[in-house]
Amino acid sequence: MATRIERLPLLSARPAELSEPLWARVVVTALAIVVLTLVILVPLVSVFSEALAKGIGAYLEALGDPDSLAAMRLTALTASIAVPINLAFGIAASWTIAKFRFPGRSVLVSLIDLPFAVSPVISGLIYVLMFGAQGWLGPLLAEYDIKIIFAVPGIILATIFVTFPFIARELIPIMEAQGTSDEEAAMMLGAGFWQVLFRVTMPNVGLSLLYGVLLCNARAMGEFGAVSVVSGHIRGLTNTMPLQAEIFYNEYNFVAAFSVASLLALLALVTLVAKSVIEWRRKRAPSGEGGAG
Amino acid sequence: MIGIEHVSKTFGRFPAINDVSLDIAEGELVALLGPSGSGKTTLLRIIAGLEHADQGRIVLDGVDATNMGARERHVGFVFQHYGLFRHMTVLANVSFGLDIRPRRSRPSRADRTKRARELLDLVQIGNLGDRYPSQLSGGQRQRVALARALAIEPRILLLDEPFGALDAKVRKELRRWLRELHDTLKITGVFVTHDQEEALEVADRVVVMNQGAIEQVGTPTEVYDAPGTPFVFEFMGHVNSLPCTVHNREITVGGIRFAAPEYQEVEDDFAVAFVRPHALEVVAPGTDGSLAATVLHELVLGPTVRLDIRVEKLGVLEAEISRIVHDELRIKRGSRIGIIPRHMQTFLSGGNAGPSVRMEERRDAPPPTPPQMPKGRTGRPLSEIMRRLSGRRD
Repeated sequence: MATRIERLPLLSARPAELSEPLWARVVVTALAIVVLTLVILVPLVSVFSEALAKGIGAYLEALGDPDSLAAMRLTALTASIAVPINLAFGIAASWTIAKFRFPGRSVLVSLIDLPFAVSPVISGLIYVLMFGAQGWLGPLLAEYDIKIIFAVPGIILATIFVTFPFIARELIPIMEAQGTSDEEAAMMLGAGFWQVLFRVTMPNVGLSLLYGVLLCNARAMGEFGAVSVVSGHIRGLTNTMPLQAEIFYNEYNFVAAFSVASLLALLALVTLVAKSVIEWRRKRAPSGEGGAG
Repeated sequence: MIGIEHVSKTFGRFPAINDVSLDIAEGELVALLGPSGSGKTTLLRIIAGLEHADQGRIVLDGVDATNMGARERHVGFVFQHYGLFRHMTVLANVSFGLDIRPRRSRPSRADRTKRARELLDLVQIGNLGDRYPSQLSGGQRQRVALARALAIEPRILLLDEPFGALDAKVRKELRRWLRELHDTLKITGVFVTHDQEEALEVADRVVVMNQGAIEQVGTPTEVYDAPGTPFVFEFMGHVNSLPCTVHNREITVGGIRFAAPEYQEVEDDFAVAFVRPHALEVVAPGTDGSLAATVLHELVLGPTVRLDIRVEKLGVLEAEISRIVHDELRIKRGSRIGIIPRHMQTFLSGGNAGPSVRMEERRDAPPPTPPQMPKGRTGRPLSEIMRRLSGRRD
């Protein structure tokens, strides 16, 4: 740790003699700010300004539209099923990968990453191929009158697939870094499997777990591509919020489209703030991860 | 009481433990001593139930524990890197083993806290109960780990390199304290270490391990004074190795002959004589029965002086003498001196321990120890020993 506090030169984290020339620092910083503004900030602001273009009354009316409300309900339902399922799968997968060595382990790691690597539209198509009317299981499903494609189960399945890696990805590195000695210590003290899991392993990754759930939830609510393929776009039945926003937009109903979009943008902002809070706490917490152990 | 019966363990193709048998008596504190890769930690983990032996049995207090899981064995385990639960206070760490018991055998909350506090007092950190592990020093963390292991009142206590992650001063302090604690609690204990000083100071009995097998078992004095194999001799401290020949019940080292009546059946064989630096007596040059040597380097270490000396045909040796002798003989770099090996252990080319040869002493020598014969184990060929020794000295 440096004991003296120096005044650093403008736009630099290092003393003057170690910094790039002033013009370079100004140009690079300005470039970053301009790009960020154009690419991220302007669109974000325009979402809210378009949504409120005809006043707060029109905004609320658009959100109160039965189709909008149905989309919100479906999105909430999808996330409330997909996130817990991925939470359970994510914990199981990361526990297995981080705490044990077995043949095929690296294959499993790659499989978890698959949804990230595959285009979401392809993910949706896989389900159509499997469960669709002409798919492998289509005739069987038709026989029992079970609808998956162009229905809510398909939307939930596609969402689970696309958001699967978020929690596992977040947990694997930290679980691997922590090693197995805590679990072994708990076992030597007489703890059973569930006691080790709930009293030692999960608290050890607590904040990362929360972070993973947040990201998973944001993606589950915002997923467009895969859901678009399997949904069938039936108004009031199989439209999630992103799909509903698109439909409104295609009908030139801009206020309604941006009103629904503004809710998704709001969700993103809340997620970002929560993420910052978690990261800030992760740095400070004496008892949390990252502390010596 | 711990019984280890013909235990073997292989990791993939690498044999970690090879047919090890050992009995550890009630109340005994035993050190498993060996270099890294000697299988000592694996053996400890097999006793704990954290690893399973491929072959052999583990018997704890007369009960076959071979197929018991770690949590049923009721064994205390202290990890090298502590393994403290970072999200719990020190007090919660210590009472963890009691908190997780099923309801019917679980003491009341007040009793559990009381017991944890008593244990923290026992390990002398009674004032740190409300801290988190990350707020403690390494030595304090290891004390917490020990208190936590003792909380379940284990029948045996296993420690895996308990002081390995600590700095030298804390390590010395803690090992003395562990010895005292063991004398108070009288719990059967096994600890793993690669530090011979630590093993000699703390343990009742030392088990020297090498390449997955036991080289020698004995009290610290036995193991240090009468190593059973060349490996133990080297591992237990600094040593000079002198090539010598055996002929007509005599050993010849660099032209000096020593009587060796034990070698009745050996004729014209090569051997290696191991001599500790303090067993090389330094005398005035030309003294009867001494080897001529030249001082290459001297290093004064308080009351003793360490000399690097060159002896013709034997190479460079290390001797450790007292300051008094050093000053009397006016030794400095380049001095010509004489040396007499006072106590050496010979090993024949087959690796079998020969007699422990002791010359007549002139001044204040320790009482002689009886020669140790090997227990049915053949060591490495002579050539390999020589190669390794010469490699190490350079």
